[in-house]
Amino acid sequence: MGREVSESCVDGVVMEMVAAYCGRFYAAKPELAAGRIEAIGFQVGHQLSERYTMERPRFTDHLEAIKFICKDFWSELFKKQIDNLKTNHRGTFVLQDNHFRWLTRVSLDPAVESTDATENDSGSLGDSAAQTTSMLLYFPCGLIRGALTNLGIPCAVSADMSNLPACELNHSSP
Amino acid sequence: MASTACFVIVSKNDIPIYEAEVGSAPKKEDLAYHHQFILHAALDVVQDLAWTTNAMFLRSVDRFNDLVVSVYVTAGHTRFMLLHDSRSEDGIKSFFQEVHELYIKIFLNPLYLPGSRIASSHFDTKVRALARKYLYIRGIY
Repeated sequence: MGREVSESCVDGVVMEMVAAYCGRFYAAKPELAAGRIEAIGFQVGHQLSERYTMERPRFTDHLEAIKFICKDFWSELFKKQIDNLKTNHRGTFVLQDNHFRWLTRVSLDPAVESTDATENDSGSLGDSAAQTTSMLLYFPCGLIRGALTNLGIPCAVSADMSNLPACELNHSSP
Repeated sequence: MASTACFVIVSKNDIPIYEAEVGSAPKKEDLAYHHQFILHAALDVVQDLAWTTNAMFLRSVDRFNDLVVSVYVTAGHTRFMLLHDSRSEDGIKSFFQEVHELYIKIFLNPLYLPGSRIASSHFDTKVRALARKYLYIRGIY
């Protein structure tokens, strides 16, 4: 069960999936496309969390499960850990990743932006560019939601990218 | 020496998703119901015990006459329960670990709905083979 896939394949599949759902399957209904992408991420996260928790002892409380997501789960997926974890002690956690791997290759369409597309462009995004990039974030949101639901914590996850390539994921349990 | 053993996988919604009689004793209908009853009754004990420890293998959690219930809990709160007469603990722990691997392979199947019955005959064959390998003292049948 230790076989690996090349990362460029994963990048390609994710980008093509987002493009297919937004451009071809649900072209006029971005909310439906987002919902479908998130559901795919949910199932994948569900299964991955089962697989990655096999070797280690179980969790005794919520905080340990969140820490597992920040450290082990994230490093299995993205080869790094979450950079910053904040909480309001009332059920909301904010996970911040300063160099989110799937967003580092995102370029802004030069027809929309006047500046050249670079990886670290953190200028203000045009509306449609922001929308396309935010579509990419539904999959990791679903991943986290699936993983946490499998570990027994039902929650809602939302993503916020105010500056590329950093991105914040807000997860709140009711 | 015939031995009794009944293996059940219970999902986190408390629904059994797989059961198998893996003992070498001849099958008898009322005995099968009896075994299921004992295993389901042990679920309450498992529920309490699961939160006290972060180990996966909880040893024997319950006894009934001369039968013992051993349980293994995964992180997703799926319980593997084995009803058996007294047997070596190492064998049971290895059995559970190997079944856990098989279970993850089923789980990773995108067409498998988590929480539904495991209907794969391949899985069934493998579980029975593992039971023969780990649960029986070699040479005594």
